[in-house]
Amino acid sequence: MLSVFDLLIDYIKTGKIKLDKSRVKDKITYHDPCNYARKAEMRLGYGYYDEPRWILDQCVDNWVEMYPTRDHQLCCGGGGGTLTNGYNKERIQYGRLKMEQIKATGAQMVVTPCHGCHGQLNSIKKEYGMAELEVKYLWELVADCLVI
Amino acid sequence: MQDTQPIHDLTQLDHTRYKSWPFNQDICLTCALCASACPASGIDALDPRSLVRQVGYGLEDALVAERWPWICTMCAKCEHVCPMDIQIADMVRNLRGLRDRQNVPGILQQGLEAALETGNNLRLPQEDFVFIVEDVGEELAEEAGFENFKVALDKDGANLLTTIHNKLVNTHTEDLKHFWKIFHAAGESWTLPTDNWEGTNWGYFTGDDEAMKTMVGRIVANLDKLNITHLLLPE
Ligand code: SF4
Ligand code: SF4
Repeated sequence: MLSVFDLLIDYIKTGKIKLDKSRVKDKITYHDPCNYARKAEMRLGYGYYDEPRWILDQCVDNWVEMYPTRDHQLCCGGGGGTLTNGYNKERIQYGRLKMEQIKATGAQMVVTPCHGCHGQLNSIKKEYGMAELEVKYLWELVADCLVI
Repeated sequence: MQDTQPIHDLTQLDHTRYKSWPFNQDICLTCALCASACPASGIDALDPRSLVRQVGYGLEDALVAERWPWICTMCAKCEHVCPMDIQIADMVRNLRGLRDRQNVPGILQQGLEAALETGNNLRLPQEDFVFIVEDVGEELAEEAGFENFKVALDKDGANLLTTIHNKLVNTHTEDLKHFWKIFHAAGESWTLPTDNWEGTNWGYFTGDDEAMKTMVGRIVANLDKLNITHLLLPE
């Protein structure tokens, strides 16, 4: 069993992939998915907090934390099947705090390693006047920085 | 189903009803730290403390009808601050599991049944799946630096087995390319199975442990069949 983080870190550390840090200029912030971070720590005894941040450091110089962050990170509101259970009004309302958190960082891009978070952030950004916000998977950012 | 307001039928009071659940609901202090931490508090009057109390009281009809367990994302902000280590997120999942399956909201049950019957949430036939991923693979091979790229299907003895989220062969096919680019650059030996490639497991959302086991078992069977030791589950 491998986590996406361990795999990407291995590729970078062993030089299997090379990344160009000058490519992505946007100010970025990082969203911890509940299941990789807080819940993994509580249920499995280890939360992936440092690994994605290390990967971000290899991709860009310009990224900032949200507040609160890491184990206190706010859920995006798209977890637990809420993207597909039809309670969309409630799901959008749930995302308000998340969007305010992102707005406060002044970031133009939010990076996250989760399909659920990615879908939710993209689907609600226009509801909160942030249609321009770019939402990227962590591995998408890595792919964007690849030196081929 | 029609949304139902909670019915607090006190004839239902039964403190022993969920005694076998391992979530510690009976030692709740009613301190409400959970409600303070919950990002969903107040949405539809959602209140995790009240939910925990209702479980302690055994108010089954109300709990089954309640919309809260489905608005909650099981994010565990509540239990992260709970001084009594009550496992609220897992309790919510068990509550979801109490509903009749035909009353599971939205498309969750439909997607899960599709997955159990066909191996994926979309009921996508194998030949269509292969067509889509090969098509996207050919697109990638047109990009500079990826000329030799090929989607590795059912490759025996690969280093990595990957699963995918069904939306990547539905509305978000472009997103298949990110990992493929990285694998290509890293010279990774990877593969995608043409059966049971589904990376989501909606039994997690509906509170259905048996369904979850079935889905996980199929991924393990693919690992065995293809003699692969590493699983990458970017879900
Ligand atoms: S934080 Fe824990 S102890 Fe306090 S009310 Fe919530 S469930 Fe009960
Ligand atoms: S798990 Fe549910 S009740 Fe607990 S904080 Fe998250 S949304 Fe609120």
